[in-house]
Amino acid sequence: MEPVILVHGGAGAISDDAKAQELLAGVKGAAKTGYKVLTSGGGVVDAVEAAVRSMEDEEIFNAGLGSVLNLEGEVEMDASIMVGSDLSAGAVTVVKDIKNPISLARLVMDKTDHVLLAAEGAKKFAQLHKVVPLQPGALVTDASKKALAKWREKQVEASAELGTVGAVGIDSDGGLAAATSTGGRQGKLAGRSSDTCMIGSGTYADDNIGAVSTTGHGETIAKFCLAHSIIKAMERGQSAEEATQNCVELMTKRLNNTAGAITLSNRGEVGVAFSTNRMSWAYQKGDHLYFGIDKNERHIEKV
Amino acid sequence: MEPIVLVHGGAGDIPDSRVPLKLNGVKKAASIGYRVLKRGGSVVDAVEEAVKSMEDDEAFNAGYGSVLNLDGEVEMDATIMIGANLNSGGVTVVKDIAHPISLARLVMERTPHFLLAGEGANRFAKVQGVPTLPAGSLVSKYAREALEDFKKHGDNRTEIGEKGVGTVGAVAIDSKGRMAAATSTGGINGKMVGRSSDTSIIGSGTYADDNVGAVSTTGHGESIARFCLAHAIIYEMKNGSSAAVATANTLKAMTEKLKNTAGAIAISKGGDLGIDFTSKRMAWAYQIKDEIHFGIEHGQHTKEKAKN
Repeated sequence: MEPVILVHGGAGAISDDAKAQELLAGVKGAAKTGYKVLTSGGGVVDAVEAAVRSMEDEEIFNAGLGSVLNLEGEVEMDASIMVGSDLSAGAVTVVKDIKNPISLARLVMDKTDHVLLAAEGAKKFAQLHKVVPLQPGALVTDASKKALAKWREKQVEASAELGTVGAVGIDSDGGLAAATSTGGRQGKLAGRSSDTCMIGSGTYADDNIGAVSTTGHGETIAKFCLAHSIIKAMERGQSAEEATQNCVELMTKRLNNTAGAITLSNRGEVGVAFSTNRMSWAYQKGDHLYFGIDKNERHIEKV
Repeated sequence: MEPIVLVHGGAGDIPDSRVPLKLNGVKKAASIGYRVLKRGGSVVDAVEEAVKSMEDDEAFNAGYGSVLNLDGEVEMDATIMIGANLNSGGVTVVKDIAHPISLARLVMERTPHFLLAGEGANRFAKVQGVPTLPAGSLVSKYAREALEDFKKHGDNRTEIGEKGVGTVGAVAIDSKGRMAAATSTGGINGKMVGRSSDTSIIGSGTYADDNVGAVSTTGHGESIARFCLAHAIIYEMKNGSSAAVATANTLKAMTEKLKNTAGAIAISKGGDLGIDFTSKRMAWAYQIKDEIHFGIEHGQHTKEKAKN
């Protein structure tokens, strides 16, 4: 099996072309980071975690640093991670002041009998495992403050300019993993939890079938159980590309809201689809990097 | 379509002493839900009322009578979903609220969101005029003893030794074929503070789609979440399986794969029912016309005339 690391930097309107270029640079970097981990002795879970961490650390993405703000001007984050070998999973929701929620989600998976920790409990768990919380406000950026102010003025259901980040990976033995992380929706109520912490909506991985990470209008993704729907479609024989395209389309038609997803089948095939205006994505396979952000756009570069 | 309200009171290792309490509780809940439908209420009203009656009932691990977390406190999860438009609402790790299922419904109806957690959920409750109970009001004697038991023997179970307790849920279909599902829980005995469950996850604890069916699950929460149990059952029904076959097969697959037990109730869009569990017991009941059907043991299906 040829190892692959496929990432997305969020589905949304992304009307600013300059931002689009930054997002592309970010996802390309994340795919390379994940791929390097995978091909230098790291496991597939390490690889997707590393790819997502790199995007959490970059201000341009709506995850970790640079997360959108809730109604009270604070950052509350969700993340989930899943291993295809035995369906182990871990997630956190509405957690504050943690630099890398995806790593905290991984700790939930590795160090507890649970799959999801919320709010204060999640933060306490972090401290128990020597993860030092940041100063309150450390993850708030000028850009996110400005964005919230603009949103308050308009008070409109702003189609997410920024989106969730995620990664799926397959190693040389066919082992799969998926990881997703987000700051959620602009101006959301305090405590608003998202599809990103939900196994089956934001994230899913099963070595018998494939791995998926989703992004876009969270409420819609959750109602449709998008990740699990794509998995089930592949189980019934659809290719990664067909399953992703069909499920995203079905969801969009039924619920009138948009989203995107990245998928790997257990044979290493790639699926990328989105009904939003744009979705930044990139994957590395061998020494080639594939990437895009607009519909039907697909570039290839030698690494 | 003949209206039906089908409820469960939790799957697990229910001890003999708790069996009568559970059976009485689920029969009462099913008839309460059914009465709502008969008097012109919606399917959402029906499942909400059925679940509320079990949240009030100490015999069940939801609302009052919820199991405790490691700090000795009650933290609850609940979700509700409408089959007509897939709208849903949920709360997770919410404290000191008598009816988490009603709060979940408010999230669905009064916010653009589908799930509120922790402090945020409690604050939303206050803003909505939902009373906050004094701290500790939902802690029952049995739950306290169950936690002591856990601290001594260190074993997370949804149904504990002498203190049988489990998640509750309801699914319903009305005369027009509209469906809803609702699930509510106190979680797992001795869980970590902040531990959220399958019951707060659409697709795991709860699902409803008028094109397919409605499902509510119960049992080992982490396994249910990893398997996306409710959605997996829905998927089988979508592909032509009856509610009974979909429920049985999916539960079997989950239990085989993840080595943990669960139970589920389901209604298909044709009105046929699925009731199954791989745990030792699961209390369930449904009302159709003037008959109440119920059971708790494997293979048990008892019928009696409804009292209302």
